[in-house]
Amino acid sequence: MTSERWQQVEEVLQAALDRPPHERSSFLNEACSGDEGLRQEASSLIDAYDEAGDFIEEPAIAHDAHVLLGNNGQDNIGREIGPYQIIERLGAGGMGEVYLAEDRRLARQVALKILPPYFVSDEARLRRFQREARAASALNHPNILTIHEVGEVDQVHFITTEFVDGQTLRELIAQENLSLAGVLEIAIQVAEALTVAHAAGIVHRDIKPENIMRRRGGLVKLLDFGIAKLLEPPSSDSETAKTQTETGVVLGTVGYMSPEQARALPVDERTDIWSLGVVLYEMLAYRVPFVGATRMDTMVAILEREPAPLFQFASAPAVLSELERVVSKALRKERDERYQSTGEMLTDLKSVRQKLEPAGAHVLDDSMRGARMLPGVDEDSFGPSRYETTKARSYRYGLQVLSIAVLIAVMIVTALLYGRSKLRANAVAPATIASGKLYLKMDPAEQLAFVDEQEQRISAMMGDRPMKLNDEAINAIKSNLDRYLARTDSTSAKPGAESLRVIYGRAAPIIPLIAPSFSERKIPLVVGIYLPMIESEYKPCYENSAGSKGLFQFMPQTAEQYGVARGEMCDVEKMAPAAAHYIADRMAELGDDSQSMTLVLLSYNRGADSVREALRRLRETDSHYERNFWTLFANRDKLDDSFRNESAYYIPSFFAAAIIGENPQTFDLQTPPLSTIVSNSASTKPSPN
Amino acid sequence: MMALSTPGLTELLDDWQQGDRSALERLTPLIYDELRRIAHRYVRRERNGHTLQTTALVNEAYLRLAGQEKPEWQNRAHFFAVTAQVMRHILTDHARRRRYAKHGGEAQQVSLEEASAMTYQRAAELVALDEALDGLAKIDPRKSRVVELRYFGGLSLEETADVLGISLMTVRRDWRAAKAWLFRTMNDEG
Repeated sequence: MTSERWQQVEEVLQAALDRPPHERSSFLNEACSGDEGLRQEASSLIDAYDEAGDFIEEPAIAHDAHVLLGNNGQDNIGREIGPYQIIERLGAGGMGEVYLAEDRRLARQVALKILPPYFVSDEARLRRFQREARAASALNHPNILTIHEVGEVDQVHFITTEFVDGQTLRELIAQENLSLAGVLEIAIQVAEALTVAHAAGIVHRDIKPENIMRRRGGLVKLLDFGIAKLLEPPSSDSETAKTQTETGVVLGTVGYMSPEQARALPVDERTDIWSLGVVLYEMLAYRVPFVGATRMDTMVAILEREPAPLFQFASAPAVLSELERVVSKALRKERDERYQSTGEMLTDLKSVRQKLEPAGAHVLDDSMRGARMLPGVDEDSFGPSRYETTKARSYRYGLQVLSIAVLIAVMIVTALLYGRSKLRANAVAPATIASGKLYLKMDPAEQLAFVDEQEQRISAMMGDRPMKLNDEAINAIKSNLDRYLARTDSTSAKPGAESLRVIYGRAAPIIPLIAPSFSERKIPLVVGIYLPMIESEYKPCYENSAGSKGLFQFMPQTAEQYGVARGEMCDVEKMAPAAAHYIADRMAELGDDSQSMTLVLLSYNRGADSVREALRRLRETDSHYERNFWTLFANRDKLDDSFRNESAYYIPSFFAAAIIGENPQTFDLQTPPLSTIVSNSASTKPSPN
Repeated sequence: MMALSTPGLTELLDDWQQGDRSALERLTPLIYDELRRIAHRYVRRERNGHTLQTTALVNEAYLRLAGQEKPEWQNRAHFFAVTAQVMRHILTDHARRRRYAKHGGEAQQVSLEEASAMTYQRAAELVALDEALDGLAKIDPRKSRVVELRYFGGLSLEETADVLGISLMTVRRDWRAAKAWLFRTMNDEG
């Protein structure tokens, strides 16, 4: 059919559809008199329209959301892709699954990333990816994550990289387990990796703690080269290196961006120097130098503000002032005033290290426990001066930026390995037992007993039927508790790293504002008190990246449904009744199952439907189950992946939060047990947010 | 005053609007993450028990990416159109690979990614729809865009009218004619 013909047909079709069905036939006869073909076309289309019903009425995502999310990956365990056998899933990044696999040819472990279909469907893109992966794999240096192979088997495209068994710098910082020597060592190794990359004309563009890993033994690996992951050069089939500069579309953490990145200007290796400066600052101060309430505020800070001086944060040997100088020079907003090459920065860092260590071997930080690196070996393995500098400058104008593909692979490896570490540097010291004392002073067995006992108490406060939890459940609570506690001594104001004292201190004035709505609806107060802890850490205006906002993390549409306008979502006195109402609705939906508040809480997190569905599925296998969350938890391998990944932590962390809040003495907090604030509300003035 | 919003997104959208296909490629990874987030929430059924409004989510995605409070109408419209295209791109690619895997030989394993993600029937349906849409675009591009926006982008009739800059009445008529044509085309191929 031509488009002219279609116009004719459509005209008739529309006119016919405008008429009531019984008139259409005669209308067609009239309108198409003489043109039998036209009448047939229109007629068959009218029939099609009638038959179509709700064809394509519902958007594709309704059916196919799971396609975007990928399969759950668990099906792939044990499968073989070429010479690789998949052992387990390390995690899922933004663009697909990454697995721990074994290369059977070499009997070594690798990280294997399967590329998403949209990515490989384009021949040209795929070829470009392969070319650039080759370029990246040519970066051969102990401190740079090795890319092994880019391959394809049975329509599956994948990339394998070195598997690093260790911790990311993000974890190390969170654990606050870095000595000055350790900090230096990390900075030096990253700088050495960068020197090599810059010499090859590659700018990393995304230096941050998530992209730096430390293996057992102390070897540092730099991951995820080139934030051009977000941007590919315009397609051209030329195989030659491109000399254009890239402006980046920036997503992800803003705090490590250089001023020129914030301005979307072309970058060069001095951008990496800046970001390394930020990382160095953060390792020393346990806070980032530039921060703001929003991404834009953070960018303003980067462009216009000076960071707080280091000496006020760290305990300071004289060496620290030297380091401060290095950091300052890296963080000059004018790039011409910064170190002009990583080689220069490396020299300064090494001379600081020299001052720190006694002559001879130097000992790195605690987690290495006696591993030593001799200076001679160090120099030889990690890049002698031939990589240093004058070369770097000449590449400023001929930068080759890596493609998405390579980045994805490497980036994904980062994200997954984050959860993968086996090193637990904070071993609990053997305790001298003093019962009734600080949790941190108890030995692990005592801690478990304490958690067990407290869980029952909190359960009782929730009105749940007492149930003895098995070890796994207690441990789930305990591990969340320990995670919270890892922050106890932190004075950092970074979100997610604030000390518990600060958080619970914030809670105290808010509790009396929450309590009345909950008691009005006969919802156990402990729910109203600790739900905001796990949702927002008592920040009335917290907004997470998915768009939910406020103390109780409502989506704006939902808030509106419950009588809270968007502009009011930070108002505790408006959100609390909405939250209580919402929970009451969930309880009504759950019916009998609402006798267990753990299920009600779960439905807060996942919706009542999915909770009922999960229960129903369990009932099919065992009709004598106890209807509360812990049963679901014990049987979570029968439930779906998202339950496992998300809900398995939600309730345990609620309990952890409640246990801490109700036993402030045991956790060295300065607030009273939060449930007692409620009854003293008459004497507690609510303070403005 | 320097550009503090996500640099480049606006340019990319403009480029794409001017017909630069590679801009779509560059946008895809950005949007993909957001689409995953949306898909994730669809699957999770957040907090209100009702089906989510795709457009609200895509709108939030746009705000997030653009980093501004009140994006210009123009760019927002483009963004929705792009998202619809990207969604279509992703799903049909997936469907094609799924279908190919089956036809590649009985003994051949279905490729790993596709294994439990999409049924063969659904894949066949999507491929047929994609081809039919291409056919429709040849004789009536605007209707093809309408379907793309509504079916892949999840837009309502009103929102589609907004994005395309046409009246609601026109969209309604386009939609019903397109539905009929597509349904007939897909069923004719049996």
